[in-house]
Amino acid sequence: MPESVSNITAQMPRAKLAGLLLFFLGPAVAIYTLFSIYPLVATMALSTYTSDPSGARSFVGLANFKTLLGDALWSKPFWNALGNNLIFFAVHMCVQNPVGIALAGLLSLPGLRLRGFYRTVMFLPTMLSVVIVGFSWNLILSPLWGVAAGALKAVGLGSLFAPWLGLESSALVTLSLISVWQFVGIPMMLIYAALLNIPDELIDAARVDGLGQFRIFFHIKLPLVLPTISLVSVLTFVANFNAFDLIYSVKGALAGPNFATDILGTFFYRTFFGNQLQLGNPTMGSAVATVMFFIILLGLCLYLFFVQRRIRRYAF
Amino acid sequence: MANLRIEHLHKRYGATAVLNDVNLKIEDGEFVVLVGPSGCGKSTLLRMIAGLDGASGGDIHIADKLVNTLAPADRGIAMVFQSYALYPHMNVRKNMTFGLKFTGVPPAERERRVTEAARMLRLDELLGRYPRDLSGGQRQRVAIGRAIVREPAVFLFDEPLSNLDAALRVSTRVEIANLHRMLKSTIVYVTHDQVEAMTLADRIVVMNKGCIEQVGRPLDLYYAPANLFVAGFIGSPAMNFFEAKVAGVEGACARVDGPGFRSFDLPATSLKMGDTLTVGVRPEHLARREDGSFTVEGVVELVERLGESSFAYVRRADDRLFVAEVRGRQTPTPGERVALAAANRDVHVFDSSGLRVSSPTNT
Repeated sequence: MPESVSNITAQMPRAKLAGLLLFFLGPAVAIYTLFSIYPLVATMALSTYTSDPSGARSFVGLANFKTLLGDALWSKPFWNALGNNLIFFAVHMCVQNPVGIALAGLLSLPGLRLRGFYRTVMFLPTMLSVVIVGFSWNLILSPLWGVAAGALKAVGLGSLFAPWLGLESSALVTLSLISVWQFVGIPMMLIYAALLNIPDELIDAARVDGLGQFRIFFHIKLPLVLPTISLVSVLTFVANFNAFDLIYSVKGALAGPNFATDILGTFFYRTFFGNQLQLGNPTMGSAVATVMFFIILLGLCLYLFFVQRRIRRYAF
Repeated sequence: MANLRIEHLHKRYGATAVLNDVNLKIEDGEFVVLVGPSGCGKSTLLRMIAGLDGASGGDIHIADKLVNTLAPADRGIAMVFQSYALYPHMNVRKNMTFGLKFTGVPPAERERRVTEAARMLRLDELLGRYPRDLSGGQRQRVAIGRAIVREPAVFLFDEPLSNLDAALRVSTRVEIANLHRMLKSTIVYVTHDQVEAMTLADRIVVMNKGCIEQVGRPLDLYYAPANLFVAGFIGSPAMNFFEAKVAGVEGACARVDGPGFRSFDLPATSLKMGDTLTVGVRPEHLARREDGSFTVEGVVELVERLGESSFAYVRRADDRLFVAEVRGRQTPTPGERVALAAANRDVHVFDSSGLRVSSPTNT
């Protein structure tokens, strides 16, 4: 019988073992440290400093966070961005993921023709550049030359049209839906792959038990892909709270109208790099970035403790 | 409980025919085993009876009712799958009652059936467990239990023992036989294992390349195979085949001759001079004896000793090998020259199209 790995490593001289560990883990640790851990720590460190007009930096402890959350000049836009971000996330969870699950369910139906075609078409927007998606939708929804108004009129729904991207009441939801349209392919593909993993005999057994395709989906397939759905939810959460590019490409850094589409990413961008009359403030920007990091960390911890531990993966 | 009638059943995938004009009648309470090499269409036939696959042509009647267009659940069947196909997210009790919920069986009745099936299959202690906590044999019993609670007219088994280890396979085989005795239900059982087929079946259906080769009771297939395929498929080690020719026709008798064995006479047949034949003899029917009409000689090359008997691999004069099963202690030794003979009724002669002609008479 071959010796187990733990036996072999236990007998190895310490220096040799250390060399081996370095050889296998070194590159990954080095890259991860350089590009992930160091920037994170540096950002957190920077958030505890402040700079005077001459550019000299001095340590201020947690004063930046106090300003951010306590000073109305800072806290109002911060809470606005956080609230908008939660709405952005909620729209994704309520629209993108259910639609992705439904599409995956339809794709996995037996006897579906043109399966590959639908799969590709629905995944296509995901592969487009966000800038192109933002620009295209900006044109499509434009009240001046967009096709949306004409298209609605053509089917007799012209009265429903409004300049959605320009109204404070609808701009955020509209942008969220554009993002949903672009990224619905990701939950679809992940869940579709999980559905393919369910053995055919299990579905056959359910058919013999008298279940139709609809019930098979809800009673058999859905419970078995729950782990994937929860994974998709976490990915959505992280992606949404790091989102920036779509808002920036459609609405610019000011996230108009009147900050109605401002999310943490755009708020951070203006703070850190500055915009128009606002001067860039790297130390305050770092504070915003640190808060974003902790928000995502908190979300992930809640997920790990309350969801992940209860979810069971099934081996078939 | 019900009979099953299959008429002119066809199945094609594109241009490839998987089943070709299958006709089969299964009586009420009969245990029928479909057996054949992989790809012979036996599983497809079972899935078509279940309604999981549609037919390209032909009719299926269950309990004298045409079920062609009925959904699996409405055909009065229950199926046990090779992988057991238990729902991994439900415990044993739920696995068994799940289907009943959707077919409108009231809760009290569901409970009664589960209790009954659990008692029969010794699952009482396992009802609260999940499939992941069960051994292979236990999962198998749950899968059978799930079939029993449906109280079907016909049970369908798709290679149910192939995922079990050898010892468990034997004991589960006995359990299935007992179950059939208790339930007296109609069972269609697919396997590629001829031991399972021989031990379990009331009748065996031997399939090959989408066609039924022969239907018959286990010993009929063994003693009177209808054609070369069945002769070679049933029995282990496989039947020895010897090439032969009709050397002469004399009245109602044809003289059969070939390389490596002594010629013998075959009774009244339509054979003509020069027809090619195949003579088949099972290894266990060859023995050192004088009275056989069929005698073949050769040099023992290899001997496999099994204890109660030995397999001797014997090379004939024309350089072909054949196998003989030698019982008792008179084990031949390699290099020994032997003459082995078979009784008339154990010699099977097949014509050039592979069909059985007859057995020789006494000379």
